[in-house]
Amino acid sequence: MSKENVLFQVEEDEVETLSPEDEGAGSRKHLIFTVDDLKIGIDAEQVVEIQNVYNATYLPMVPDYILGIFNMRGQIIPIMDIRLRLGKPPAEEGILIVIDYNNNQLGIQVDSVDLMLDIPVDSIVPIPSQSAQKLVSGMCTLPDGSGTMLVLDCEQLIARDYGM
Amino acid sequence: MSNNDILDMYIYETNTLLEQLESIVLDAEKENTFSQDNVNEIFRIMHTIKGSSAMMEFDTLAQVSHRIEDMFFLIREGTMSVVKDEDRPALFDVMLHSVDYFREEMEKVEAEQPLNKDVDSFLGNINSLIAKIKGEEIPEAAAPKAPAPAAAPAAEAAPAVAQTSEGSAEFPYGLRVFFDEGCGMENLRAFMLVTSVQGFCAEADFAYQPAGVENDSSLSETVIEHGFLLQFRSDADRARAVPVVMTAGSVHSYEEENYVPAPPPAPEHAAPAQEAAPAAQKAAPAPAAQAGAAQQHQGGQKESLISVGLSKLDQLSAIVGEIVITEAMVTGSPDLKGLHLDAFSKSARQLRKLTDELQDVSMSLRMIPVSNTFQKMNRIVRDMCKKLNKQVKLTLVGENTEVDKTIVDSIGDPIMHMVRNSMDHGIEENVEDRIAAGKDPVGEILLSAQDTGSEVIIQISDDGAGVNDEAVLAKAIRNGIASPEVEYSHKEILNFLMAPGFSTNVQVTEFSGRGVGMDVVKSGVESLGGSVSISSEQGKGMTTIMRIPLTMAIMDGMEVSVGDSIFTIPINNIRSSIKTTEAAILHDSVNGEMVKMLDGYYPVIRARDFYNLPGGAEKIDDGVLMWLESGDCSYCLFVDELLGEQQIVVKPLPAYVNNFDIKNFGITGCSILGDGNISIILDAGGLYAAARNG
Repeated sequence: MSKENVLFQVEEDEVETLSPEDEGAGSRKHLIFTVDDLKIGIDAEQVVEIQNVYNATYLPMVPDYILGIFNMRGQIIPIMDIRLRLGKPPAEEGILIVIDYNNNQLGIQVDSVDLMLDIPVDSIVPIPSQSAQKLVSGMCTLPDGSGTMLVLDCEQLIARDYGM
Repeated sequence: MSNNDILDMYIYETNTLLEQLESIVLDAEKENTFSQDNVNEIFRIMHTIKGSSAMMEFDTLAQVSHRIEDMFFLIREGTMSVVKDEDRPALFDVMLHSVDYFREEMEKVEAEQPLNKDVDSFLGNINSLIAKIKGEEIPEAAAPKAPAPAAAPAAEAAPAVAQTSEGSAEFPYGLRVFFDEGCGMENLRAFMLVTSVQGFCAEADFAYQPAGVENDSSLSETVIEHGFLLQFRSDADRARAVPVVMTAGSVHSYEEENYVPAPPPAPEHAAPAQEAAPAAQKAAPAPAAQAGAAQQHQGGQKESLISVGLSKLDQLSAIVGEIVITEAMVTGSPDLKGLHLDAFSKSARQLRKLTDELQDVSMSLRMIPVSNTFQKMNRIVRDMCKKLNKQVKLTLVGENTEVDKTIVDSIGDPIMHMVRNSMDHGIEENVEDRIAAGKDPVGEILLSAQDTGSEVIIQISDDGAGVNDEAVLAKAIRNGIASPEVEYSHKEILNFLMAPGFSTNVQVTEFSGRGVGMDVVKSGVESLGGSVSISSEQGKGMTTIMRIPLTMAIMDGMEVSVGDSIFTIPINNIRSSIKTTEAAILHDSVNGEMVKMLDGYYPVIRARDFYNLPGGAEKIDDGVLMWLESGDCSYCLFVDELLGEQQIVVKPLPAYVNNFDIKNFGITGCSILGDGNISIILDAGGLYAAARNG
C-alpha cells in the first residue's frame, strides 16, 4: 500500500513540474501504462488504486481474459488481463490497476505503469474509423513527445462486456 | 422528532394494535364470547387509536374508534352477557370489518391519499349494534355508567369515575405526563409544564410530583420512569391542563388518573385498566383485584421498544461480517507462525468469544417470530370458510419460531397461497364426503414452523382429498408440460403442480387458481435459497414443505478443494461424504458416471471436469465424493479434499462477472476466508441443473 502511494506521489510531483500551465478545465489527468509496447492512457478519475501484489482466485466458466477475482480490503474485484482482452499473448506478470467506472470495479492487469500526465482534452482525436483497434475511444500524442497514447474506453471495457 | 417520524410512529403503532385486535377477535369468535380481559384489551386498543388519530387529525378514524370504544365500554360494564347470542356474529363481523377499515385507511395515510370521509353507514352499523346492546342491558348496570362525552381525548371516562372514587386525597385529579424517550432535561421540561399550568390555575389548587424538579436534575430519572404527575383539586382545571400538556414540547403521552385508594396507580400505559378499576370496584371486590392484576400484567408486557430501519440492521450485519473475517485474519496471520504468544492467544480467544457473541446478537436483531404471518392465516381461513361454506379449523404449531425479517416478509405470500389452495382444492366440497371417508366433518389445516438450526421448515398440510394423480397428469399433458408417452412416477406428477401455468381447478375462483400458483410459491421460496416439496396421498390430504435457510448473510459451509481452487458447499446441502474407489463407479452409455449409495444410484459430477479447472485429482481414489441434495436433485460431486467446516459471510460476486451467466453454473457467491483468500460458494441445485443440461 505505502509503496503504491509513494508511486502516485512521485508521479503527481512530476506532473506538476512537467506541465504546470496545463492545469485547468481544458486538460485531464491520465494514467499511462504499457501493454505489449502500446502506451495506453486512462482517465485518472477512474483509477482507484494500483496494486503490485495480489492474489487472484480462479473463477471457472468465464472467458480466459478474466483471470479471476481478488479481495481488495473486503471488496471482491474481478481481474482482467488486458493483454488477453486485446488478443495479445499473455505476459508472465504485471501490475494491477483497479478502476471504477459507474460503481463497477475492475482490476486490469497491465505490463507496467509509466506515469501520470495532464492531457489537454482537445488533443485527443478519434481513432481512424478503419482501425480495428478494440476498447479504445481515442488517441493523442503525448505532450512530452515520447510517443502516442491510446485512450482506454472504460465503458466498452466494463459496461458493454456481456459474455463475449 | 419531525412530523414524518410522528406519522411513521402512528402508522406503525396503529398497525401493531390492529394486528393484536384482529387476533383477539378471531380467537374470541371461536369461543363466541369476549373474555373480560379481551374486552379491556379492545377498549385499550380503541382508546389508543382514538387518541392518536385525533392527535394526527384523522377525524373519521377518531370518530369510528370512539364509537367502538363506546360499545366496548358498555360491554365492559355489563360483561359479555349484555350482548345477546344472536347479536354476537354481528359484533364479530363489525369488529373484523373495522380492522379492515382501519387497515385500508392506514394504507391511505401511508400513501398520503385522502381518507374516506363517508363513514356514516359504518358508524350506523356500530350504532345499531350499540342500541341492541343497550336495549338488552340489565337496567341497574346501565344507568349511571353511560359514557359522558368529553372534549379532550382520554377524558370521557373521568366523570363516571369521579362518582365512584372516594376523593380522600387533596388533589384527586391526576395527570401523568411522559416525555419523549431521550429528549433530555426531563426535569426542566416538567417544570416548564408547571409554569404553564400556573398561568391558569392558582398555586394552591394543584400540586406536582416529584417536587423540586426545577433545580434537581437527578429527578430526570424518576420523570422518565414514572412520568411527571400533575395533581389538581378540580376536574375542570385538569381539563384545562390537557391542551397545555398536549402542545408542550417533547411530550410523548399523558394519561389521566384519579386518586383511588385501593390499587396504587401503576405507571406506563395502564390508563384504560385504571379507569376500569374503580368501576369494577363498585361491582365487587374480587374483580377489582383482577383489574389490578391486569394492570400489572400490562405493565410487565410493555417492553421498551424502538423501531430501527432495516437498512441500518443490514449495515450492522455487514460490518459484523467484516469483523468476523478480520478477526480470523488477525489471529490466523502468517506472521504469527511459530511464535508462542501466551498473552496474545489469550486475548485472541477472548476476542473470538466476543465476536461470536456480537454476531449472534446482530443476527438476533433481525429475527422476528413468524406468528404474525401465521395469525393472518386465521383470518383467511375464517373468511374462506364462510364464502365456500366449508368447516375448517386452522392449527398453528411453532408460531414462535424466529426467522430473519426478510424471510418473514417473503414467506407470507407463499404460505397464504398454500393455505388458500388447501381451503379451495384440498378440503372436500361436501361434509358428507368427509364423513363417508371416515374423517372428522371439520377439516383441518396444519401450519407449522420448525427451526432446525440451519433452516426453517414450514409445513402446510391439510386432511382433504389429496392430489388426484390422474387428473394432474391429464392436465399436465393438456398444458403441454408432460408428454403422454412417458410414464411418470407419483413424485414427478406432484412436481407438475409447481410447473408454471398449472392450475388443476377448472374454474378460476376468487381465492386461487389464477393460472399462476404453485410455481410462484416455488420461485418465491427458491429466491430465498430454499426449496419446496409436495407430498400427497390420495384421500388423505396433501403436505407442502418449504425449507428455507435461516439467514442468507451468514451460513455454515464446508470448504473443499479442487486443485488450487477452494469451494464452499452449504452444509445443509450435504448429505454425506465418502471415499470410494474407481471400481465403484458405474458408467452409462452416454459417458455419464454413477455411484451406488445406500438405497440407490446417483450421478457423479466431477468438479474438475465440469468447471474445466486447471488442477485436481483425476482418479476417484484420490479424492472425495460429496453426496449433495437440493430440492429434488441428489447427486455426488467429486472433489479433491475436505478442508473443514466454517461459518462464512456470503458476498455477492461482482456484477461484471455475473454478466457471464456463471449463476447458471451453480456459482452464486463467494466468501472471504480467514487468510484473505476467496472461496467460491457452490449452489448444489444450480450445479446439477447445469451439468444435466450441459
